[in-house]
Amino acid sequence: MTDFGGDSGGRLKGVTIVKPIVYGNIARSFGKKREEDGHTHQWKVYLKPYFNEDMSIYVKKVHFKLHESYANPNRIVVKPPYEITETGWGEFEVIIKIYFNDQSERPVTCYHILKLFQSPVGDGELTSSTTMDTKKGLVSESYEEIVFQEPTQIMQHYLLLSEQSANELLPHDTTDFEEKKTKTLDNITNVKQKVKGEIVTLKDKLKLARETISKFKAELAKVQKQPA
Amino acid sequence: MSADVRDILDMERANTPEVTRDSFLATKKRNFERTKTASRRPEGMHREVFALLYTDKKDAPPLLPTDTALGIGAGYKQTKARLGMKKVRKWEWAPFSNPARNDSAVFHHWKRVTDNSTDYPFAKFNKQLEVPSYTITEYNAHLRNNINNWSKVQTDHLFDLARRFDLRFIVMADRWNRQQHGAKTVEELKERYYEVIALLAKAKNQTSEKKVFVYDAEHERRRKEQLEKLFKRTTQQVEEEQMLINEMKKIEARKKERERKTQDLQKLISQADQQNEHASNTPSTRKYEKKLHKKKVHQQPRPSKVDSVVNAIEIGSSGIKFADLRGSGVSLRSQKMKLPANIGQRKVKALEQAIQEFKVDPAPPPTEDICTSFNELRSDMVLLCELRTALSTCVYEMESLKHQYEAACPGKTLNIPPSLVPIKTEALDNSTN
Repeated sequence: MTDFGGDSGGRLKGVTIVKPIVYGNIARSFGKKREEDGHTHQWKVYLKPYFNEDMSIYVKKVHFKLHESYANPNRIVVKPPYEITETGWGEFEVIIKIYFNDQSERPVTCYHILKLFQSPVGDGELTSSTTMDTKKGLVSESYEEIVFQEPTQIMQHYLLLSEQSANELLPHDTTDFEEKKTKTLDNITNVKQKVKGEIVTLKDKLKLARETISKFKAELAKVQKQPA
Repeated sequence: MSADVRDILDMERANTPEVTRDSFLATKKRNFERTKTASRRPEGMHREVFALLYTDKKDAPPLLPTDTALGIGAGYKQTKARLGMKKVRKWEWAPFSNPARNDSAVFHHWKRVTDNSTDYPFAKFNKQLEVPSYTITEYNAHLRNNINNWSKVQTDHLFDLARRFDLRFIVMADRWNRQQHGAKTVEELKERYYEVIALLAKAKNQTSEKKVFVYDAEHERRRKEQLEKLFKRTTQQVEEEQMLINEMKKIEARKKERERKTQDLQKLISQADQQNEHASNTPSTRKYEKKLHKKKVHQQPRPSKVDSVVNAIEIGSSGIKFADLRGSGVSLRSQKMKLPANIGQRKVKALEQAIQEFKVDPAPPPTEDICTSFNELRSDMVLLCELRTALSTCVYEMESLKHQYEAACPGKTLNIPPSLVPIKTEALDNSTN
C-alpha cells in the first residue's frame, strides 16, 4: 500500500472520477398466492457496477432499506454482489445507500421502486427500464453515475485501483443502456430542435401580435374620437 | 377472626377453604359490586370529583393536610413549640436624654442590658439647619439698603424665626410678630431671606461652591394669585367654562369634517378629469363608458406582463437555472437534473405537460451529455410555455379590441392577421403529432 501520510483528507483539485452503476430489481411470480403468507413473487434488488469491476475496493457497504413490514428492513451488504433476495406481494420504494471506504466522502442514496408487475404499456412509466424476460422474469433497472468531484487522495487511489480490476462492459442482457443512452440523447436533441423552432415562430407571432394590438388601439382611439 | 384465635391457641382449625387466586378475586368482585350499588355517582358529577368524595367504605374523603411529623413543615404536630434555642437576653428600664432637647429632660425606655451605648439612637434624625448669621458691620455694609425697606430689627426677627423653625416659612409667617414688625407674607419673608443669603455669600467669599438659591418672588406671587382665582370660582363660572370647552370641540370637529369633504371633492374632480382625458367623449351610454373604464384598468398591467416576458426572452433570462453542482464530494449524476426548488408549481406542471407533449423520457439515463442537453431542453420548454401564454394573452386582447371596435362603429371590423388566428388549433396539432 502506498503511504499517503497524514494528509489523506486533502482533496485533489480539478479531478473528477465517474463511476457508472446500475441498480434495480428482478422479480418472478410464483404463479399463485403462497398459502402461508400471501406472498406472490420472489424478487431480488441489486446494485452493480456498469463496468466489470470490483466495487468493494471503494465501496465500504451498501445499505438496502426495505419496507417496514419486513423483518429487519435495514439490510447491509459489505461485499459484492450487493443484492437482497426476498419474497413479497407488493411494490414499494427501496432506499439504497452507498457508503464509501473513505469516511470523509459522504454516502450517496438511490431510490428504486421495486417492480413486481409489468405496468400497462403507454403508461408513461419511464423512470426505470422495465423489461420482461422469459428466463429471468421482470427486470426493472436504472442507470446512474456516481460523480466523485475532487476526491480525497485515498479515495482516488481506491477508485483507480477498482478501475484496474477490470474494464470491459458487464453483460447487461436485459437492458441495453448504451443503446438507450444514444436513443435518449438523439431524442432530446431532436425535441430541442423542435422546441427551438417553435420558439422562433412564437417570437415572430408575438411580435406581430403586439404590433397588431397597438394598431388596433390606434384604430379604436380614432373611431372613439370621431363623433366629438 | 375466630380462626386466628384458634390458630394462636394451636387448636384444631375449622375447615375454612384455602385462599386461592380465584376465590380471592371472586370475593373482591362481590365486595366491589355491593359498594357500587350502595353509592352511585349522581348524574352530571365528574368522576374525579366523585372519587374524592367517597370510596367504597364511605370513609372520610382523603382531604387532610399531609403534613407529617417528619416533613419540612413540621411544627404544629410537635407537642412543644420549638422556639429560640438560645437563652433569653435581658432588657432593662433605662433612662435616656434626647440631645435634641436642651432642657436636659430625662426619660426612660426599654433597652437591652448588653447594649452599652448611651447615645439616643434617634438623635441622628434631629437635623440642624445652618442658618448663616451676620455681624452689625456686615449688615451696615451690605444689607442696610434694600428695595423693600427691611429694617435691621425686622431682618433680625426673620433670621431668629428661620433658626427656630428651620426655614419652615409657612410657620415663620405664622409666628411673625405683626404688632412689632407689620404684616409680612410668606413670599416677602422668603424674598428677604434669600436676598440676605445671596448678599452675604457674595460678600464673604466669592468661591462659594454651593449655588445660591435665587428666589423669584414675583413669579411665586402670580402663581399663588392664579391658584387663588381658580379656587374661588363659583359653580356658575365652572359650568360656563365647561360649556365653552364643549362648544369649541364641536366647532373643531365640524371644521375637520368640512376639510375632509373638500378634499374628497377635489379628488373626485381630478379623477373625473383624468377619465375624460382617457376615454375622451364617447357618444355611448354611461354603462358602456364604465365598462370601458374597467377594461382599461384591467388591461393596463397585461401588456406590461407580456412585455416583461418578451424582455426576459430577449435577454435570455427566461427558463430554468439549474443548480451548479460544483464543489468537492460525491454526488449522483441524476441530482444534476433535479429541478431547482425555487420553481413555481405552475411552471413545474407546464413543464411536465411539455415533456409529455414532446414524448421525452422524464428520467433519462444520467450521463453527462444527457444531463446537460436535458436541462437545456427543459429550460427551452419553460420558455416555450411562457411564450405560448403570452401569445394567447395577446390574442385575447386583440379580440377584445376588435369587439370594442365593432361596437364603437357597427358595420366595420378589424382584421386579425391570419397567422395569429388559429393559434389554439395549431397548438393542439402539435400536441397530437
